[in-house]
Amino acid sequence: MTARGGTWDDSGSERPVPGGNQTGIRLAARNLSHGFEDGAVLEDISLAVEPGEVLAVVGPSGTGKTTLFRLLALFEPPTDGTVEVDGDDVWELSEARRLAVRRRVGMAFQSRSLFSATVEANVSYGLRVRRSWGTRVRDAVGRALGQNGPSETVIEALQTVGLGDKIDRDAASLSAGEAQRVAIARALAPDPDVLLLDEPTSNLDPRNTAAIESAMRAARARGIAVALATHDMQQARRVSDRTAVLLDGACIESGPTDRVFDSPTDDRVRRFVDGKLVY
Amino acid sequence: MFGLGDLSLTYLASTTLVSLYVSTVAVVLSAAVGLPISLAVGFNDFYGKSAVTSVISTGMGFPSVVVGLVVLLALSQSGPLGSFDLLFTPEAMIISQTILALPVLVSISLSAVQSVPQDRRDAAFAAGGTSTDVALLVVREARYGIVTALLAAYGRAISEVGSVLIVGGNIVFSDSTSFTRTLTTAITVEARRGNVETGIALGAILLTLVLAVNALGARFRDRTPGGRAR
Repeated sequence: MTARGGTWDDSGSERPVPGGNQTGIRLAARNLSHGFEDGAVLEDISLAVEPGEVLAVVGPSGTGKTTLFRLLALFEPPTDGTVEVDGDDVWELSEARRLAVRRRVGMAFQSRSLFSATVEANVSYGLRVRRSWGTRVRDAVGRALGQNGPSETVIEALQTVGLGDKIDRDAASLSAGEAQRVAIARALAPDPDVLLLDEPTSNLDPRNTAAIESAMRAARARGIAVALATHDMQQARRVSDRTAVLLDGACIESGPTDRVFDSPTDDRVRRFVDGKLVY
Repeated sequence: MFGLGDLSLTYLASTTLVSLYVSTVAVVLSAAVGLPISLAVGFNDFYGKSAVTSVISTGMGFPSVVVGLVVLLALSQSGPLGSFDLLFTPEAMIISQTILALPVLVSISLSAVQSVPQDRRDAAFAAGGTSTDVALLVVREARYGIVTALLAAYGRAISEVGSVLIVGGNIVFSDSTSFTRTLTTAITVEARRGNVETGIALGAILLTLVLAVNALGARFRDRTPGGRAR
């Protein structure tokens, strides 16, 4: 893995620019609103995820967490407000610089999203697309001839999620929990500065949940800014440093996790934490 | 040349080669034209997309003799392409087979492209892929459907009779070498003549070719991760 940080490289390559910021990046939403044809989903959201912390975005299902994370991952521009990296409005950057920003943000989804390929091919995907076309062709030829083995980066990413022994498996043969862990390894392999995890443990057993939470802590220890969307309040409490509570598309409370859980200022948050606010 | 009634190696070999040549080139041309169409239609949402898809699907049922008739008129001396002097040549047969194979290939490959789940495209994008990377990923994810489309198009082309009979003329030289006679048109002729043995031999070759092509497709599917049914 490379050192954290670096400034944006116009080529969109994985190479950090020498002399850049070595302390990671700060990804922020400022006054973010977003809507679709059938109405607003997010209203005036402002929050940030800092290097070396886990930010939990909690709230009931359907409250806009996934939409928020897709906006932070630059799938589309927000209807209003800005997505900022180190204070720069990402959608004001050139396309090449925006690609470079995007390549420093990894994301794993709630749904099963592995490609029809081996675990190794899935995890190395993010690394491959960052290479030049000539290198990709040479790598493909090398793989076809059996000359190229898996890279150390891929092995390390899989070890982080506890699946180092599954590298040669067909992704279709994995259990749901293993598949989700491989998806997180795929997001981690390019050594992102920000890791967005959208409900990564919903419907998973305790063993897989523990493995994913361990991977989150490992990412935080490496200085990665981790944002976790979850409706599992106990999980938010276990792994996060700060918590933001989303309700009906609005961020109604945010702050240090202990403070949000132990002495919330908003009565709806208190009832949600106590399990009395049911959606 | 060995003889067994009307059965001759030259006749069988040249007829088989004409069939393979015409069908293979027609499928290659169909793929060159059809796969970009499938990707363009599959990747983009536009007004009238369902109508376009319906037209493509309808094309799968084109009566081959009608296609043959249209190609005949287009290539005849008084037709718009008459100056190319292609009528009653293998190239004329390639044109008609391409027209027949194209809707089959586009329809099935379009269905394959559209069946790739959106979350896989999202995963490719989130992993840092450009729009080109995402498109290549979709093609890779849809590879079995695309191979099926190629096989179906090949099956449609190599088993075709009506249009190749009309635009090819079913020509065999006096030394039994086929010029525009394919396995299917040869079977028609031999059956009409009462040469059952020759007809059966030609039919066996045709079936073997179709089976071999499908076996290649199955082998590709089974040897690739994610391809075998679970």
